[in-house]
Amino acid sequence: MGSWQVWLNLALNTLAMASLLAMLTIGLTLIFGIMRIMNFAHGALYMFGAYAGISAAHFFENFWVGLVAAPLVAGLIGSVFELSLLRRLYKRDPSSFLLITFGWALALSELTRLIWGSNTRDVQLPEFLTGVLWVADEPFPMYRAFLIVFGAVALLSLAFIILRSRLGLLIRAISQNAEMTHALGVDVGVIRSLTFAVGCGFAGLGGYLAVPLITGYIGMGSAAIIDSFVIVMIGGMGSFIGSAVGSLLVAGTQTFGNFYFPDFALVITYILMICVLLFRPGGLFGEQE
Amino acid sequence: MGAQIQRTCRLFEKITNAKGGISGRPIQFIYEDTQGDPAACVRKTTELVEKRGVSLITGIISSGESLAVMPRLGEWNALYLASIAGVGSLTSTHFVPNAFRTCTSGPMRARTIAEWLAKSPKRKFFTIAQDYAWGKNSLATFEKLITDLKKETVGNVLTPLGTKDYSSYISRIREARPDVLYVAMSGDDATAFLKQAGQYRLSDRMQIVTEVLDLLNTKPLGNAGIGLHGISQYNYAYDTPANVEFVRAFRAEYNDIPDTWDGEAWQCLEFLAHGIRVAKSSDASAVRAALEGAEIDSVKGRVKMRACDHQAEQPVFVARLDKDPNVPYPTAKIIATYQSDAVIPGCRKDI
Repeated sequence: MGSWQVWLNLALNTLAMASLLAMLTIGLTLIFGIMRIMNFAHGALYMFGAYAGISAAHFFENFWVGLVAAPLVAGLIGSVFELSLLRRLYKRDPSSFLLITFGWALALSELTRLIWGSNTRDVQLPEFLTGVLWVADEPFPMYRAFLIVFGAVALLSLAFIILRSRLGLLIRAISQNAEMTHALGVDVGVIRSLTFAVGCGFAGLGGYLAVPLITGYIGMGSAAIIDSFVIVMIGGMGSFIGSAVGSLLVAGTQTFGNFYFPDFALVITYILMICVLLFRPGGLFGEQE
Repeated sequence: MGAQIQRTCRLFEKITNAKGGISGRPIQFIYEDTQGDPAACVRKTTELVEKRGVSLITGIISSGESLAVMPRLGEWNALYLASIAGVGSLTSTHFVPNAFRTCTSGPMRARTIAEWLAKSPKRKFFTIAQDYAWGKNSLATFEKLITDLKKETVGNVLTPLGTKDYSSYISRIREARPDVLYVAMSGDDATAFLKQAGQYRLSDRMQIVTEVLDLLNTKPLGNAGIGLHGISQYNYAYDTPANVEFVRAFRAEYNDIPDTWDGEAWQCLEFLAHGIRVAKSSDASAVRAALEGAEIDSVKGRVKMRACDHQAEQPVFVARLDKDPNVPYPTAKIIATYQSDAVIPGCRKDI
């Protein structure tokens, strides 16, 4: 491989990983942006959604059914949690959210173990996604190409909803001033519930999409959530664009770092985060609170 | 891996107690999740020893956890039997009288692969290993042996535990253009790496040889894993009376064939039961004395516990992943057997 082929390959891998990371992080940032809740259970939802998607795909013997089931189940679980428990705490101190979402993360992880057991689980890809694309005479997995396209379509659709639709207008209004939006006759509670469910759904979707790369295993959520928090801090709390850019930066530093400086790749990511926090404490696209 | 050990312990408990226990006493296992964390492992083992009176410990998965627990065994008057930990130093530089290893060690496996590859015309090697005690030890051992064979190492990389994306490492491997890729990885990391290596068609360009060829990692590969070579520490197809009986009981209980860590755990428990029977006690000192030099008819045949370093002498197998008409997924087929004396390091030696 020539050096430009290496770079091209690494760039494509960066896009595929950024796509996966963005699925998880967008949900986290959406929930924080509108509700000011740092959802510590996001990693557990990522895992729960992955396992639910795998079960659905096995049951119907169809990968695409799992792709629909994973976000639906994770979103539904999120809704039940928001309506039954979280809603009671909105008027309390923000630390209540930390405690309850942390507790929920533990409960969901154990629930996953109880339902599906401790064994790893996998999903069968459709035939055309198991192949390779030849890019500059080098094989590039078709599934990673699919991740790039799927991630771009999903994020652009979400961006369109947030920036161009009436629902998006209401979400942005509530994130800026919930009381005023409520005073104008908008049912803030419904929008919050919907946002929470969509955020949780993205976590489940991210988990399911990761399975063909890493296999579903108990603990996959905790490993992923750390990267997610780093991305949110780099991109800025509650910033949609920040999450997308943060995902690209983290995926890029890890992909290129692991190739050129494998012993320091993780350090480079954390140095990046520290630099951003030093010079822009609110993140690249966030506001300091 | 922990799930395999637990299910095997449950089966052992059930069968042994149905026969009246060991020396007339029923056995009971107490399980704790150490989460792969050496500090948590020491904390939980301390609680088991001090609060629940446990004196016989097994099932610890990582070498790092094992090495963290071992210095405390003497003061606890407890015995530890390693059934998974592969780091060479466990029975050499970190040797303690109260620890035994019933499974093969990393150096035994690396030597076996090196012996097997010595006959191969392939000359250029690349190693990928997990960045902790066992992985580093295996990488160092394998590279030294390969260099001694006058073959060339064209690169190596250590990957952090829990790595999700191996694409950059795969690019490095492709860049180095080795003839053989040696993989010293286990658990979920090994599964993820082998899956991604398959997606990049790495085996079209080089032979992939893994130090741990177990179903846990190869099942997710499906038929794409056929042709993968590696070390089979335990194989359900061994034709020994003890193994035939073990596989029959395992199938009856779980409707599946036992995997690597099931077999290794079973051999470990056979040693433990033998020690307790001979010692007529579960006291750590008495069982230790009974185990030193002990020989048992295990699932792998006749296995002896070397007294000088507490490493079990046993054969090591090179296997190839292939189809088995009686099993719905590819399984390891043994293609070469190396007797213990050909691959076991000298007493308390690392390599």
